[in-house]
Amino acid sequence: MRFLSTIFVLITCVCYTFAQSNQNISGYVRDAASGEALIGAVVQVKDTKTATSTNSYGFFSLKVPETNFNLQISFVGYEGLDIVVDPLVQKNFNFELIPLDNVLEEVVISGKKRNNNVTSPQMGVLNFSMDEVKNVPVLFGERDILKTIQMLPGVAKGGEGSSNFYVRGGGGDQNLILLDEATVYNASHLLGFFSTFNSDAIKDVELYKGGIPSQYGGRISSVMDIRMMDGNNKKFAAEGGVGLIASRLKLEGPIVKDKSSFMLSGRRTYADLFLKLSPDETVNKSKLYFYDLNAKFNYRFDDKNTVYVSGYFGKDELGYGDLFSFDWGNATATVRWNHVFNEKLFSNTTLIYSDFTYNVNVSNDNSDFKIASKIENFNFKQDFSYYANNKSTFRFGLNVLNQRISPASLNAAPGASVNTIDIEKKYGLELAGYASHEWKPNDWLAMIYGVRLTDFMVRGPGTFYTYDSDGQPISSETYNSGKVIKHYLNVEPRLSMSFILNQDNSIKASYNRIVQNLHQLTNTTSSLPTDQYVLSSVNIKPQYADQVSLGYFRNFANNKYEFSVETYYKKMGNQIDIRNGADLQANEYLEGELLYGKGRSYGLELFLRKRQGKFNGWISYTLGKSERQFEEINEGAWFKARQDRTHDISVVAMYNLTKSWTLGANFVYYTGNAITFPSGKYELGGKTIYYYTERNGSRMPNYHRLDLSATYEPNKTNKRFNSSWTFGIYNVYNRKNAYIIDFRDNKENPNITEAYKLALFGAIPSVTWNFKF
Amino acid sequence: MKVLNYIVVLLSICSLTSCEEVIDLDLNSADPKYVIEANLNDINSTQTIKISKTVNFNEPIPNEPVNNAQVVVIDVAGRAHAFTSNGSGLYTSSNFKPITNGNYSLSVNVDGKEFLSTTTRVPYVEVDSLGILKDEVFNETYYAVTFKFLDPINTANYYKYSYSVNGKPFKFSAVFSDKFNNGLLVTHEITERSDADKFVLGDDVTILRECINVDVYNFWSDLQSINPGSAAPANPKSNISNGALGFFSVSSAKLYNVTITDSSEEE
Repeated sequence: MRFLSTIFVLITCVCYTFAQSNQNISGYVRDAASGEALIGAVVQVKDTKTATSTNSYGFFSLKVPETNFNLQISFVGYEGLDIVVDPLVQKNFNFELIPLDNVLEEVVISGKKRNNNVTSPQMGVLNFSMDEVKNVPVLFGERDILKTIQMLPGVAKGGEGSSNFYVRGGGGDQNLILLDEATVYNASHLLGFFSTFNSDAIKDVELYKGGIPSQYGGRISSVMDIRMMDGNNKKFAAEGGVGLIASRLKLEGPIVKDKSSFMLSGRRTYADLFLKLSPDETVNKSKLYFYDLNAKFNYRFDDKNTVYVSGYFGKDELGYGDLFSFDWGNATATVRWNHVFNEKLFSNTTLIYSDFTYNVNVSNDNSDFKIASKIENFNFKQDFSYYANNKSTFRFGLNVLNQRISPASLNAAPGASVNTIDIEKKYGLELAGYASHEWKPNDWLAMIYGVRLTDFMVRGPGTFYTYDSDGQPISSETYNSGKVIKHYLNVEPRLSMSFILNQDNSIKASYNRIVQNLHQLTNTTSSLPTDQYVLSSVNIKPQYADQVSLGYFRNFANNKYEFSVETYYKKMGNQIDIRNGADLQANEYLEGELLYGKGRSYGLELFLRKRQGKFNGWISYTLGKSERQFEEINEGAWFKARQDRTHDISVVAMYNLTKSWTLGANFVYYTGNAITFPSGKYELGGKTIYYYTERNGSRMPNYHRLDLSATYEPNKTNKRFNSSWTFGIYNVYNRKNAYIIDFRDNKENPNITEAYKLALFGAIPSVTWNFKF
Repeated sequence: MKVLNYIVVLLSICSLTSCEEVIDLDLNSADPKYVIEANLNDINSTQTIKISKTVNFNEPIPNEPVNNAQVVVIDVAGRAHAFTSNGSGLYTSSNFKPITNGNYSLSVNVDGKEFLSTTTRVPYVEVDSLGILKDEVFNETYYAVTFKFLDPINTANYYKYSYSVNGKPFKFSAVFSDKFNNGLLVTHEITERSDADKFVLGDDVTILRECINVDVYNFWSDLQSINPGSAAPANPKSNISNGALGFFSVSSAKLYNVTITDSSEEE
């Protein structure tokens, strides 16, 4: 605890020293129609280089001239604002921008600071608002933020229809996915086909692949920071859609006009409704659906204090008659308090709870039991931003994260044919403190440097085992509740910098070290909700990654086109794999089944994006390699990670054909996953058995697919009510991409062994009706 | 685990559009490895051990028989039983019925290589009742032969089942452990889901039920857990030394014969 108190004292001191301010103005930028905070809006003193952009709460602070001057506020898709400001009269502002009625117009506002991607020191970051990607064609017509993320450079898709993703050769469990700052453990529904993020409820997404800022920690490959809509505080509004397999409804409105609002959004799939038509009683009593609920409430007490409460609840239900049911889901709750100490110091205090649970119920003649598992965390965060002047911004804060894992326990009914098995809960407490400085010493250099300190404590109560090299337990020790068995102290330096060659060109470099104390164990190719999580322990050391990257950023044609090249090299330590034939279910000696090794990945990413105009979209290409090495696997030689993809190309294009019609298309191509196929065969027990030599020594066939969509929005006849139709075709040329390749004996001649593929989706049409009023 | 079967069944509902297609794959080849299948039991007094080599995936033969090996098994009492080759990769020893529990060892010498193994014979766990279970999954009818018995509470027990339909050669079916049901009244369902081998009405099914050692269980459990969704399939861990594939087991076993009918126990 000494660590914590030292940091706290330090921060308090810093607050007091910084709490003196002069000639800074601060405030919020919001949407005039809905009151939604605008993230990344540019606030600039006219005809000068004095500029800043709003943070994720729409807040800004800017050091300004003392006399009257013109201030310009601008944001893509909104009418710019140009007002005269006298800081001696007013220092706090609430700016509201009017959304442009028609995004078709190519609006170019002179003096607009649109080259942030070039001049900002942050690299390896991609962001977009939900509005920007609403016309991207998607499977079943269900807009999905994770599927869009997968089409960005450096992000590999998890497989056909899957919402899993792998960033720069990292693992699927190495992405920190935050929904209003709460960790989402399992970001997919229906075994991966849909993400847990209902696009109606989401405002904005930011993905960090490298140079990750020091306020983030806990996952070594990426951070995906998703923010929910705040809710309209001007007027009541409803929005929704009816699709082939899901329907959505969102309600939002003011509670106290201009001060307080709510947002409620729900979604449910009904893919299983046709099962009801089946004459088979077991089938028509089966279930297969999911639902999501997002809710948010905010209250603005005054210009200095705002409170946000947000939550998410989602659940998947899968059932086969009365015999078997399986449900799983995430829940998150976030309470935040934004406080503006003064024009320079912004504070955010957050309390977060999030969990992920799954339950299995089996009841048939010879077995009647339940399996339940839960992972949960309580998180306290205190973040400060200090806008010292227009060259320096300091960010610092504290984080206390308490995690508890209840591994799958088996609960049998009395007289059942299985025994009750209770596996001990695991406890971990992580303290972290960070500080960073965003600094623009001159016109050609900008940087963010910082450090994050973490202390992960392995805590009791519990029995801790040590294992021999074969994974057999050799000794054990039992500890009481609250006892700290081990500390893992880590220093995580972060640096990202840009050399601004001119307003259109920059070179950026970054380095980061990140540590991860929560690990997911999976022995299947597609991650299942039943995959186990483990915390760092006496045996399991924290995973870490060191990443360096270098990039060139260039904007063309008055910032209409953004282009970047980034290269990266990532070294990963204390990586985890699973012993061959490991028993991961309800196993007290689970840690004995784990193997520890290392990883490396490197690659090149090209990205060309056009964000405005009638025709917009992007092209992304990744050339990459990702490898792992474990002493016990592949005879100790480096082998390709499953998500190793040599080439990965995505093209996304959207075109506003007329006022009513918008067309969308995307094309993806990537090298097949590395996979272990047999090199030979033999016979045992009358069956053909496959002989394996090299881990991941083969490849799945290359994957490619084209999707198209068309959105029709009739000319407004009614001012209040809007509706639109979206038609789409997934996999237009009906390519049978291999989902699974398996092997079997030929039917006519069992001595001949053949390979066959299963393709999941051929061409799939979809239609969705959306409305808004 | 069974739970996984349900998931697979349910997944197949959502993949109504899925299609299956035989493809040509250019698979790596590998140097041949020795495969030893030494499955001894107390069913009769002639024991057989099969020795072969792996073949490349695309070869139209299941394996390559090895006929020049010296094969010896030493029983609990220390007596050596030599196995003689019959010329088709099979080695037999008559007048050898392992009925005593305890340690047995195997040695195989071939082409200057020596493969060694030891295993333990464990006592048989008797079956209380035998039945036939009819199950309908998506309008497909499956029959299973069920074994009800009381699992001994003081020991970890492992069971292996093989089946023979209408006198055809035995095929491996499944292995079970008592991890989740130690000491309880247990039911094992033996069935086959593949079209070629599934049990149909009127079939004369013989099931070989063996009580096996943990090493043998682990070997078969590794094999039966490999499926197309496995992250990284690998060769099962053999209890034979020197890199041989296969296993050495001396089990206590019984044969059960049933004719598949609708009249018996139904769900």
